[in-house]
Amino acid sequence: MSTTALLEDTKLGPKAGGLYRHQNFLTGIITGGLAMLVGWLIAHYTLQSNANWGSDMVVTVTMAAWVVGFMAGIGAFNAVFRWMIGHDQDHEDELYAAGVSQGWKRYFKFCTDHKVVGTQYLVLVMTLFAVGGTLAMIIRTQLISPNNHLISPQTYNAVISIHGMIMIIATIIMVSGPWANFILPIQVGAKDMAFPRLNALSLWLVVAAVPPILISLFIGGVDSGWTTYAPLSVQSPPGQDAFSITIITFVVSVTVAGINTITTTLTMRAKGMTMGRLPIFVWGSIVSAGLGLYAMPAFLAAQSMLLTDRVVGTSFFAPAQGGAGWLYENIFWIMGHPEVYVILIPGVAAAMDVASTFSRKPVFGYKIGIGAFFGLAVLAIMVWAHHMFTTGWAPNLADPWMLTTELISIPTGIFFLVIIGTLWRGSIWTRLPMYWVYLFLWNFIIGGVTGIYLSDVPADQYFHGDMFVTAHFHYTLLGGAMIGATAALCYWFPKMSGRMLNERIGKTAFWVVAIFFQVTYFGMFWEGFQGMPRRIAAYAPYFHTANVIATVGAYGLFLGWVILLYALIHSWMNGKVAPSNPWHAKSLEWHISSPPPLENFLVDPIVTSDPYTYGEDEAATPAKNPTPATVGSSEEGAH
Amino acid sequence: MSVVEEHSSHDHHGYYAEGGNHHDTPQAKHRKEHMLVWMLIGGDMVFTALIIFAWFYLKALNVEGMWRGAACTPNFNAGINQSCTDGIGNSITHIIPTASPVHTFAVAILAIVGAGLMWFAEVQARQGASRKTTTPLLGLASLAILGSLVWQIYQFQVLPFTTVQGAYASVFEYIMGSNVGHLLLILLVATGLFIRSSKGLHENGRWYQIHLSRLFSVWVAFSITLLACMVTFFN
Amino acid sequence: MSSNHEDIKREQIAEAVEGWTHGGPLYRRPAFRIMILVVLFSAFGIWAAAFFTDKIMPSILSTQMGSVHDTVILFTVLAAPVSALVYAIAAYSVYKWRRTGGDEPPPDGPPIRENTLVTSLWLGMSVILVVVLLVWGMTALSSENQGQLKPVTVDVYGQQWLWTFKYPGTGVESNQLVVPTGRQIRFVITSYDVTHGFWPNSLGVQVDANPGFNTYITADPTKTGQFAVRCSQLCGLYHAYMDANGKVVTPAQFSAWLISQGASSSAANAYALGGK
Repeated sequence: MSTTALLEDTKLGPKAGGLYRHQNFLTGIITGGLAMLVGWLIAHYTLQSNANWGSDMVVTVTMAAWVVGFMAGIGAFNAVFRWMIGHDQDHEDELYAAGVSQGWKRYFKFCTDHKVVGTQYLVLVMTLFAVGGTLAMIIRTQLISPNNHLISPQTYNAVISIHGMIMIIATIIMVSGPWANFILPIQVGAKDMAFPRLNALSLWLVVAAVPPILISLFIGGVDSGWTTYAPLSVQSPPGQDAFSITIITFVVSVTVAGINTITTTLTMRAKGMTMGRLPIFVWGSIVSAGLGLYAMPAFLAAQSMLLTDRVVGTSFFAPAQGGAGWLYENIFWIMGHPEVYVILIPGVAAAMDVASTFSRKPVFGYKIGIGAFFGLAVLAIMVWAHHMFTTGWAPNLADPWMLTTELISIPTGIFFLVIIGTLWRGSIWTRLPMYWVYLFLWNFIIGGVTGIYLSDVPADQYFHGDMFVTAHFHYTLLGGAMIGATAALCYWFPKMSGRMLNERIGKTAFWVVAIFFQVTYFGMFWEGFQGMPRRIAAYAPYFHTANVIATVGAYGLFLGWVILLYALIHSWMNGKVAPSNPWHAKSLEWHISSPPPLENFLVDPIVTSDPYTYGEDEAATPAKNPTPATVGSSEEGAH
Repeated sequence: MSVVEEHSSHDHHGYYAEGGNHHDTPQAKHRKEHMLVWMLIGGDMVFTALIIFAWFYLKALNVEGMWRGAACTPNFNAGINQSCTDGIGNSITHIIPTASPVHTFAVAILAIVGAGLMWFAEVQARQGASRKTTTPLLGLASLAILGSLVWQIYQFQVLPFTTVQGAYASVFEYIMGSNVGHLLLILLVATGLFIRSSKGLHENGRWYQIHLSRLFSVWVAFSITLLACMVTFFN
Repeated sequence: MSSNHEDIKREQIAEAVEGWTHGGPLYRRPAFRIMILVVLFSAFGIWAAAFFTDKIMPSILSTQMGSVHDTVILFTVLAAPVSALVYAIAAYSVYKWRRTGGDEPPPDGPPIRENTLVTSLWLGMSVILVVVLLVWGMTALSSENQGQLKPVTVDVYGQQWLWTFKYPGTGVESNQLVVPTGRQIRFVITSYDVTHGFWPNSLGVQVDANPGFNTYITADPTKTGQFAVRCSQLCGLYHAYMDANGKVVTPAQFSAWLISQGASSSAANAYALGGK
């Protein structure tokens, strides 16, 4: 234990860290702001002369300058620059960058410690959910009566677009940010991520990406939904330029984060941690990261082509000059469909691990579950055109797309098999994380089944583009993936914060969320069956009842999340101190203290079995409150 | 999961080792960075593939005959937009000329030369050459890449069309922009290698960073050449 | 995997199967109780689908809309038992296997890591369901494009934020979509500006109006009635207000309507009554 104190409070020389010493979130904002100003001045006085695209150019340059300036200001380029001039960071600089001897201030710095990054990600995700959720409340309030004038149609379009994109960003990073950074390296037995600086880079790129998309609300907004279909988005107000800069920045972030996760898992496993002994959450994370590597370049292509259409007048998507909206739709959904599985898979994988811990049973069908992740990933890149069944693009290809889409139900079905197989005859320990697993099952079935209706081309010709689709994907992404992520949050909260989550408040939040979720999306399914299109600011009185149900449900749902947020904050500040292994789980993160020390393991672990030895060997179960350096017995033979 | 203790010693200096990564033998560090570079190349391959898709898709559709403005005939019913105009409203009455392949291939050849020189420097460094050999090679590589970059920017000035003149012009200039971005990236890397080499940081078996940079530079040179062939022979 | 491990597994599975099928009187066995739950959940799901299609969805005015209704019912009938099985096991696990542990975990459950039979059954069932769904979808899709008489062509134009329908050969242009029963209607759709979504909702068909391209969709109206034409693709500021009225009428009424819109009677009759 003394070594822990030694490392975290190491006295560093007065020059350790170099420029890092003077850089933090605030200098990032100041530098970013100055860069914005300079960018704006240059663009305004030199480029505005082009009357056709002047304002778009100005917004693009200003927003890009913000991103570069912020990243420079916080210190993202220090190490790169020092590499270039052949003056590498030395040992003390690295220790400083990892946050040694900076206390709470390291949470506001370009800190390379994976646990700091994970915590920063968690707060960022919460913030994004708060913004996106508030926008959702504005949408639902607007829809409380058929011809509401709460917000103008233009604002409404901007709000739905930004709600969509903020939520997509938040859900992409909601598991791979906090948990794949904080927990995954410990689970594989590593002391940090493979590339700690890229880890910090991926986090701060998301932070840099957020202001442009929020600013876009105030410079005309985006009026074409989160999908920003061209050619409408080519004609949108300048908010679209800021939106595209956000996406391009985010793409870089997800790419480096994904590479980091995969490399960590493949190269940094502890001795004895074979691929077959990895917790299934790790498998889900790397499959999702790999799929992200495929999807994100397409997002970059779609948004950068859109940006050049807007800023320098190219005509990728403008039909009058030889472009085609179908090109955008194809490239967008080549990104878009894999992206929903990037969101979904880690949430499902976390739910599987939680189910195992609280059923006191091994994950049922570990190998076939992993096979399902890979199957889903492969199918994901072959189904994009099912989003385009009704666009009129290649109607002759409907049959093959329908085939691949319906095949998706096979790996998805296996997810359910794995979880209910794990529950089967288990000793169900009804703690808070397990509650969310049950909610996940309930919701995700509904999300999955309604997806089958949409995969059928003739039925899709009715349901496409209406509220049925909205309800369907909220059931999968919010009801499935995000509930899975919430299970993960409640499960790993003690490890991350060192405090137990208040289960009484947490369970209250659970019931409010669980019930009002059903109410909200029942209302939306109703609207969908009635034939109410998506993304409309006003509707025929015929749809009123269903909309009132959905709005009331949405208020309750929001309240539920607020209660959960309160539980988190309250417990983080005043909660009971968490033991190192409150759930008596077996994966490596539970063998070290809560929260873990810098470098995680005081001794290098050697792993002798997978983390699912429930009921198999009592001797292999760790002590109730193991010291950080647990010494287990080596189990009979390798499993 | 059971774990057993391996050793209880705790060597900080081994952990946050000099030069960046934690606790790694050089081999382990190189393995990671190898993966990083290949995954970046993989992502970039997807991006390149999408550019190629966009090129052939728009060429095949030839919406309103505006691929190169050759046969501008509004081809959908009742002629909604009499739209034989470019993006800023000037009417297009002629075929948009193709860009001169001289410039296109000059950029590609310089990129190939740059990547080749970097590769040569790597071979030399692997054979234990001193900074006296690798530094000039890497300097020349940087110059070749810089030349490629400058020529690529120069090509914007001499194109017989602008971005607003149809789909061919659009994709063509988008590819040029993508080349500029890629060349800028490998220029920074090559310059860094040059400076580091001059300080002797690639001597005594430390050739690995040249190797990684070479991998990415060769990919960039390859993709630029591939796209140059595409825009020249399939327009 | 060591033999010891195998033995433990085999024992546990044997025990699990034992408890599942032979645990006392029929009504006490988990399998039986879960089946009861499955039946209840399935019945509820199927009732809900029937309720939605019957009471909530717009009325069926075309064969395509009929196939939408049938699809919802059929898919629910197929999917409900599967979902119900998951729900039933989940519900039963909470009811029967819950341990109130407090801070201390309950004793470990049986280490059932896999079960080839169950997995194979599950996979087989999924594959069969997929094949059924696919055959159903493909059949419905191919039957959409059959018609005996020459189809009635309607040109549809979307623009921000208005639909225009032209009836070629008659000179009629209207903001109202009127189509006759008994004939196949072929919509030729395009847009003046951005992408719109042409959705005559009781006809059960939908396709985007793309600028620069024509898209096509056919519908076979079977019953007279009113419906709404909506825009299903976000198209800018007043997207919400981009509605048009639609009407399915008899061929005679259709011809009369065309004449009332200014078509000559010969053109209207030729167009409305058509030929082979």
